[in-house]
Amino acid sequence: MSAAAGEVVLQIRNLGKWFGEVCVLDGIDFEMRAGEVVGLIGPGGAGKTVFCKICCGLMEPDQGSVEVLGKDLGTISAKERQGLRERIGLVFQNYALFDFMTVGDNVAFPMRQRGGFSEEQIAAKVQERLSEVDLPRVRHLMPGELSGGMKKRVGLARANINDPELIFFDDPTAGLDPVTSSKIFNLIRKTQAQRSSSCLVVSHDIDRMLPACDRYVLLYQGRIHFAGTAKDAMASADTVVRDFFGKEAGIIG
Amino acid sequence: MNPLRSVGRVFLEASETVGGITLVMWQILKAMLPPRFDRDETWLNLYRVGVKSYPIVIMTSVFTGAIMVIQSGQYVKATGATGLLGWGAGYAVLAEIGPVLIGLMFSGRVGANNTAELGTMRVTEQIDALRALAIDPMLHLVVPRFVSMVSMLLLLTALGDLFALVGGALTSQFILEVDWRVFFQGVIGSSLLDEYLTGLTKGVVFGASISVVSCYYGLGVSGGAAGVGRAVNNCVVTSAIGIFVWDYLITYIVNAL
Repeated sequence: MSAAAGEVVLQIRNLGKWFGEVCVLDGIDFEMRAGEVVGLIGPGGAGKTVFCKICCGLMEPDQGSVEVLGKDLGTISAKERQGLRERIGLVFQNYALFDFMTVGDNVAFPMRQRGGFSEEQIAAKVQERLSEVDLPRVRHLMPGELSGGMKKRVGLARANINDPELIFFDDPTAGLDPVTSSKIFNLIRKTQAQRSSSCLVVSHDIDRMLPACDRYVLLYQGRIHFAGTAKDAMASADTVVRDFFGKEAGIIG
Repeated sequence: MNPLRSVGRVFLEASETVGGITLVMWQILKAMLPPRFDRDETWLNLYRVGVKSYPIVIMTSVFTGAIMVIQSGQYVKATGATGLLGWGAGYAVLAEIGPVLIGLMFSGRVGANNTAELGTMRVTEQIDALRALAIDPMLHLVVPRFVSMVSMLLLLTALGDLFALVGGALTSQFILEVDWRVFFQGVIGSSLLDEYLTGLTKGVVFGASISVVSCYYGLGVSGGAAGVGRAVNNCVVTSAIGIFVWDYLITYIVNAL
């Protein structure tokens, strides 16, 4: 069952994660509603990827609770978790495309594994998703034959193939040139608008991210240091917020 | 460094490895109950593991059989007991040397390749991607590899046994000048069925051992390309140790029965 507009799709309470002695996330409280596009920003090593992976159930938190689409990840069974993962998507920082499959098979893979579709239906949907990301003629290529930007777009097409309700983008523009970065953020906004899905976009490319997100969360030293819109950030007197938004995006003088 | 501490560290590392391998084995068995297979992935692995391995298995086996005959040849010739040539070579090859050498070749080719493949998938987040796409890596990656390695090492051992005897017969005919029919009469007349079945059992157990060890190291890789290299190295060493330990245990049990 898909989430209704305005319904909470991601609820995090007192989230904590340590790697040995190093505290990466410390008492995070966060909420996200259906249809929102939230930008998770912060300096490198702030714990953004860890946050993303915990929300997808790929990493276990040491403290706190994570509720995704109304299911508490800490209490659901493995089968329920599997079912939940079919409703969410993740675009990896380093693409994570299956290098032994063609682009078409990569995008088709989640649909084939889910079952219940004919090969014709799968081929049509793969073509549709690849066309959406402006790559209509690459389905027979191997991932190794694509550029970084193309791989990101294939990752986006793969994450979208099962029409997820909630999509996590882990630094979707890392290592890309400014033009390709802008294209990726436009694609995120476009696909979100088409399907009314909810998106959490992790990035530190704030200036190009601005038109894509409804609001922002600044992760700093393991805690949420700021949460609000770009306007709120610009009006903020906090030095960290001003420094971060100013230096990264050039918004504030 | 304190020698006692070194011994303790080695013991703890070995315990961690054995514990980890046992856990992977348990997870594979759990994933196979009820029996579920990713059919495409299993077929692909059967081909890669089995069909692509038979040339090296045939080569190894032919020479193993030939070496056994050459080694025993001088005594057979000296005593004139040519009928024992087939028995000696058949006994050694079917029960012991054949499965062990084929297992070692298999671990070097297939086990190492499996660890490198899973390890690379791990460091490039492809295994996380599978999980994120609601696909169980155990069912999709590990179980097909386990099934393929076990069944294919059984078949490769049977094939290797045959070619080892052919190698022995050819050597017997052309080097020792003992008729190949006498060689095969020696093999058939010595009722080596028990040895043959023991060898096949070893093939199955070695296949299971190599697959579990290679998956354990592959799935546990950390530290990028260097980590993959270390894992492959550890896989080859641990698989070889596993083959000898299992060989000892099976031989001991069979002889005790």
